[in-house]
Amino acid sequence: MENVAVIFGGVSTEHDISIITAISSIIRPLQLLKKYKIIPVYISKQGIWYSDPKLAKIETFQADDLEDNLSKLKPISLEFGKYLKIIKSGVIGGRKKYINIDLVFPAMHGTNGEDGSLSGLLNFGSVPVVGCSLRASVLAMDKVIAKEIAVANKIDVADYIDSSKSEIEENLEGVLSKINKNLTFPLFVKPAHLGSSIGISRVRDQKELINGLEVASHYDDRVLVEEEIPDLIEVTLPIIGNQHPIPALLERPLSKVEDFFDFDTKYMRGGKKGKGQKGSQGYSEIPAKIDKKLYQDAISLALRIYKIFGLSGISRVDMLINQKLSKVYFNEINPLPGGLYSHNFNQAGISNVELVEKLIFYAKERYNYQKNITSTFSTNYLKQF
Amino acid sequence: MIRKIINSFIVFYSPKYPEIISYMLQASEYRGLNYLVWFWKTTDFSKVEYRKKLEKTKVAIIIYNFLTLAILIQILIGIYLIYLNIVGRLTGGWAFGLGIIVLYPVLWSQIIVIPVFFARILIINPYQKRLSKKAKKIFADHKGIKIAVAGSYGKTSLKEFLFTVLGSQFNVAMTPKNKNVALSHAQFALGLNNKEDILIVEFGEGEPGDIKRFSEIFKPDSGIITGLSPVHQDKYKSVDAAAKDLFTLEKYVAGNKLFVNNQSKYIKKYIKKSYSCFNEDGIADYRVKKVSSTEKGISFDLVSKKETLKIKSKLLGRHQIGPLCLVAYLGLDFGMEKEDIQKAILKIEPYEHRMQAYTLNGATIIDDSYNGNIEGLRAGLELLRELKFRKKIYVTPGLVDQGSLTKEIHQEIGHLIAGANPDQVVLINNSVTHYIQEGLTKAGFKNDLVIEKDPLFYYNNLADFVAKGDLVLIQNDWTDNYL
Repeated sequence: MENVAVIFGGVSTEHDISIITAISSIIRPLQLLKKYKIIPVYISKQGIWYSDPKLAKIETFQADDLEDNLSKLKPISLEFGKYLKIIKSGVIGGRKKYINIDLVFPAMHGTNGEDGSLSGLLNFGSVPVVGCSLRASVLAMDKVIAKEIAVANKIDVADYIDSSKSEIEENLEGVLSKINKNLTFPLFVKPAHLGSSIGISRVRDQKELINGLEVASHYDDRVLVEEEIPDLIEVTLPIIGNQHPIPALLERPLSKVEDFFDFDTKYMRGGKKGKGQKGSQGYSEIPAKIDKKLYQDAISLALRIYKIFGLSGISRVDMLINQKLSKVYFNEINPLPGGLYSHNFNQAGISNVELVEKLIFYAKERYNYQKNITSTFSTNYLKQF
Repeated sequence: MIRKIINSFIVFYSPKYPEIISYMLQASEYRGLNYLVWFWKTTDFSKVEYRKKLEKTKVAIIIYNFLTLAILIQILIGIYLIYLNIVGRLTGGWAFGLGIIVLYPVLWSQIIVIPVFFARILIINPYQKRLSKKAKKIFADHKGIKIAVAGSYGKTSLKEFLFTVLGSQFNVAMTPKNKNVALSHAQFALGLNNKEDILIVEFGEGEPGDIKRFSEIFKPDSGIITGLSPVHQDKYKSVDAAAKDLFTLEKYVAGNKLFVNNQSKYIKKYIKKSYSCFNEDGIADYRVKKVSSTEKGISFDLVSKKETLKIKSKLLGRHQIGPLCLVAYLGLDFGMEKEDIQKAILKIEPYEHRMQAYTLNGATIIDDSYNGNIEGLRAGLELLRELKFRKKIYVTPGLVDQGSLTKEIHQEIGHLIAGANPDQVVLINNSVTHYIQEGLTKAGFKNDLVIEKDPLFYYNNLADFVAKGDLVLIQNDWTDNYL
């Protein structure tokens, strides 16, 4: 039986969402498959790594005494080399126990995980890793770079301005003037690297803009300000696969622009539009009931983005549609969508169990593909030195 | 195996023990022999109360308290004997004492059958007799038309159909849910007010002589036999014996007032010309035409020389056509307008856990877990074969109470499943699984076969296994008392 490490939690504003993704969308279906030994690896908000069977249960994280329970566990460490190993210390004798990891299934969202840092770290481990590579994650998670790449590929995006946190703190007037000169209200202000709609505000005037910039720069060192697309239809498309990506169904959130796809609506049980249903299933339209051509255009654009960015395993591409102009704009990429967006894949005919199995297949496919690429080069430089 | 013994050992000497024994008695309907067979076949007592728990009825509480008290007294006696040994007043007292303590689980699991047996003979049976006598008088004095519904399967459903359709215009009373034995008939009789136009009573045959006994009390004006298949073979031993019992109804109703569903292969040889038969083709001079069967329901035309009834129903499967024909026919016989019959049939809802469809994660699930006979299973698999879905999954533990026909029936089930050609078959593992597997292999089934040891694990996590475009048919149930 292969050992599959599911890594979740982390020092991220999306720590809790990561726990839900890991336990309900990854660990549970993997357990049902009865093919793998699941090793839950949890990174606390303080950045300490733990591994214990108890961490595969949601009740562990719902308990009030989580911190106490964690303090009873010994932190783990990783060993890289020919194999990736988890090193656990015995509770009493301190004897080290090594667990070989055959595959890693990251379930991290946002910074210090989804942004490529985990993928980069695991590159040293010589194991298949589910999801996007270091490079693809870095590019996809940076909303500013992502837009620049899209523009370079002649893909439409909403007009935008970006600014650093220090610029906002030190020269707010200058930032405001740049925005006022180039963009028209209403605007969206977003932290450049966060997902799950955390820190995003829709602003209608100067006062709200200042507030929005403050909020966004509180969460990130780079802030993106973009124009709202008029006559908007917001759509999103989860995609799986490597070289030959497979789209799920185009999904349309049924919230008004004012209540855009925010954190509560997306994740909280019975959120504003949730009508008591869990997650995002209660408020979105799958498949999006839009004009056939627009639907196809959006699918084509998302698949193009998937390939341009070199995404692999799973990702979600968010797009904006101007109904009047019948024009599709690229908005952003989510390299590891919350809950794997399994509700959408379910509607596309892929069950939760099939989804994790497919993602493991893609991870192995990518790993084998990468293995065949030469990464060493023999020279006589050292002798000549 | 060692693990199971250790688990059982822990249960035997835990405070849960009286509850386990009480539950086993309750699930065996306080039939001593059934209980003892189950007890001695059980290898892991920690899994006994797995699917259900002890229902705290009066009888169950009395048995539970009695067992707890008896075990406590036995342990105290054991401790006292050990104490006597320690203080030097009884040589070998420790051995007696320890023996008494160690033996209590085996001892009380067997002794408890005796008071239960006598309680049945001395209290329950006389009480039932008194009640039945009262019921007999109430039924005899009642002015309403009395319909008895008997059969190896489909009784409760047909009773509900009749109630919905006839009840839309008449004052109809029926025995509730699947309560179909003498005691429930009597309780039903006590609740009547003699103002009902029609009484419908379900006859649940459990052992030879039941139908005669029920008929003596109810004295039906007309009877319905919904079908015949090998069920309760532990008591009836053969299909012939079950048929003989069912057709005693004939003695109580006039020949043409005995309606018989002659669809099943087992029933054909018992059919007489005088019976009014119904099936998928129609009833009397009404013929079935233009049938459509989907996962949403069935529809057909019921055509005679003088009229056509457009029947539309939420019920699933072609096997429901026959019963619906009968219901429509009886509606006409009672003077209902055909439009009213059509409307009432449309209101019939599938009975709980009987070909009941629902959506889960976009997939269509048909729950037929209360079905317990091969004819129902055949009908379900026919529907599975007929419906067009991306992926079809069939789940069954097999059938209980098949007696000497167990092997034959389950091999046939394997054949039937293979004929429906589902993409995946999930067999809930038990003593009949290998027979189904044999049938599947012989019939050349090549698709995915999963043997699931833990039914609750599978059912509770079904949502993770399915997606839109999937069809899952779940048939039959395998309760704790069947191994």
